[in-house]
Amino acid sequence: MTITEPTGPIGTAPFTTAPLSDERLTALVAALRPVLGDDQILLAKTDRYNRARVPAPFPVHRWSERVPDVVVMPTSTEQVAAVVRIANELRIPVVPRDGGTGLTDGAVPHRRGIVVDVKKMNQIHELDLVNRTVTVGTGISMLKLNERLAEHGLFYPDDPASYPCSLVGGRIGTSGWSLIGSRYGHTRDLVLSFDHVLPTGDVLHVGDGIGQKISKSSSGYQLKHLFMGHQGTLGIATRATLKLFPKPEAELSPFWAFDNYEDAHACTGALARAGVATFAGAVLFDEHKVAYLRRDDEAYIPQPTDVRALVCAVMYGYEDEVRAGGRRLFRIAKEHGARYLGDEISEGDWAARHDRYATPLHGRTKDGQVIPMSWHCEDAAVNFSNVPAVSRAWHEILADLRRKTDVFDDWGMFAYTSSNTGVDYLTEIDVGIWEQRLDDVAWAAWVKAKRDIAAVALAHGGSMSACHGSCREGEVDLVPQELGRGFDVMLDVKRSLDPNNIMNPGKYLLDRAYGRDTTDENR
Amino acid sequence: MRTDDQPSGPGAAAPYRFAEQHTPPPAQRVSEVAQTTFEHVYEVDPRLMEEHVLQQVFPNWDTLRIMRSRHDHLAWMHRHFAEKVVTGSEILAEIDRETATPPPL
Repeated sequence: MTITEPTGPIGTAPFTTAPLSDERLTALVAALRPVLGDDQILLAKTDRYNRARVPAPFPVHRWSERVPDVVVMPTSTEQVAAVVRIANELRIPVVPRDGGTGLTDGAVPHRRGIVVDVKKMNQIHELDLVNRTVTVGTGISMLKLNERLAEHGLFYPDDPASYPCSLVGGRIGTSGWSLIGSRYGHTRDLVLSFDHVLPTGDVLHVGDGIGQKISKSSSGYQLKHLFMGHQGTLGIATRATLKLFPKPEAELSPFWAFDNYEDAHACTGALARAGVATFAGAVLFDEHKVAYLRRDDEAYIPQPTDVRALVCAVMYGYEDEVRAGGRRLFRIAKEHGARYLGDEISEGDWAARHDRYATPLHGRTKDGQVIPMSWHCEDAAVNFSNVPAVSRAWHEILADLRRKTDVFDDWGMFAYTSSNTGVDYLTEIDVGIWEQRLDDVAWAAWVKAKRDIAAVALAHGGSMSACHGSCREGEVDLVPQELGRGFDVMLDVKRSLDPNNIMNPGKYLLDRAYGRDTTDENR
Repeated sequence: MRTDDQPSGPGAAAPYRFAEQHTPPPAQRVSEVAQTTFEHVYEVDPRLMEEHVLQQVFPNWDTLRIMRSRHDHLAWMHRHFAEKVVTGSEILAEIDRETATPPPL
């Protein structure tokens, strides 16, 4: 195997996690000064540490390994392009941070370098009421955007569980999944086009064809999907044009209880297959999830013990069509033995789904004592018929971990519809992790469990992620297996667009494009 | 935000009495691991918070503030996503009426 090490300005960025030397840092800051204002170049420890952290748990004693050397806060595409050009010339890693809410470490600077925080690019550049589009800086959050759009009766329906804090740019970088995507589509369907800074600093406008506001083109390669979901390894989106809908007149979100998982699963499938136009999604809660909620969620603590599985469906649209669709879904639920849980839980729990990052959490030791825990969630895309088998296998993996240590707690599973036909589900298992006790041994066990969880999804004909991406330790090992020859194409694309491996290096095993296999480094 | 169960008039300016604020309603057990004090307020059984995380003492006003803030937040989310909420109980009642009243022959 050829190992390419950098020698001055020729070659790739260093395959190192060491901080920049004082000399290189000084050179970098000097190069940035003509491009950015002083308040856009952040060097303080607090500024850098605040942008090292993402929600996915990681051993506390290793947090300092992932702190960037410099943070920059550009305000325009031109400034982002200039920063990336400098990084490319100096062979210094550059990592976009678009909210930092992802669960697969996309925004983590594995090789330090420059973190580009996009949140100052949060302007609404154009609102086109005639063609129903809005053009925004990628640093805007969907919540803030929708507050402005509501003044015009409009709505941008990209709705992750991190809705209040995630940014449009992050949604592009992960090709995000939306809670109400079965009605409105997911990020890939909602983003019409965007300006994108390539790893060399060149700027590309990418969409269907070259159009800014075109939803369907057959001209040329379909590059839009290539530049979505790359976890920042192919560049930085800076300005995006989005598709808009009328703000829904009405919402209906019934929750139903079942005394067994099988009936709940069957009901979920029937609801999704019903073809109701206002159907925006259904969620299946398994027995472990219900047990967890009955333990710690004020809405479910009082529920009787024969509530063992739950299903929720949600509809958005005009009131008359929501009522008509609602009647149909209620009839289907009734046929499957569902018991309506009541308005308070139905409305309260659904509203809470938009903001799961704000929930304070704790778990239990095996003897029942409360412990502080961080939330993590492993996801996969699984066909409806395979959801039960995947659920069983995932819980066995978690049970094995739990037998060994109190560091992990099984918080149960959800399965969310991904489409309006019910073909596949975002299947997720929530895991409580006692982060302060996450030592090297527990971390290694967790990485193995993640790999096993991903392997189960693949063994059942699924994809190892519907939502988060799959570039974190553990599951990333199986990306070549999932994509097959497609992974080689990924390597070719990466090498072609990022000749010096400066754009978010260390992710998705893409170092292999430069003759280096770093899979097991730092484990 | 003022709510109905907050004192108004002269009582609103009543002095803060520590003992009053630190005496919640008697806890009622609701499950093997949880208890309730005020309506909608649930707490972990204190016996399960003795080793790694100790239970904190909150004055009543703060307990109620946290609970009400949560309700405000959820109500805000509904308004943010749609103009109105159709309740499931209304739809269920319509379905039940359909079942109870078969269409005329």
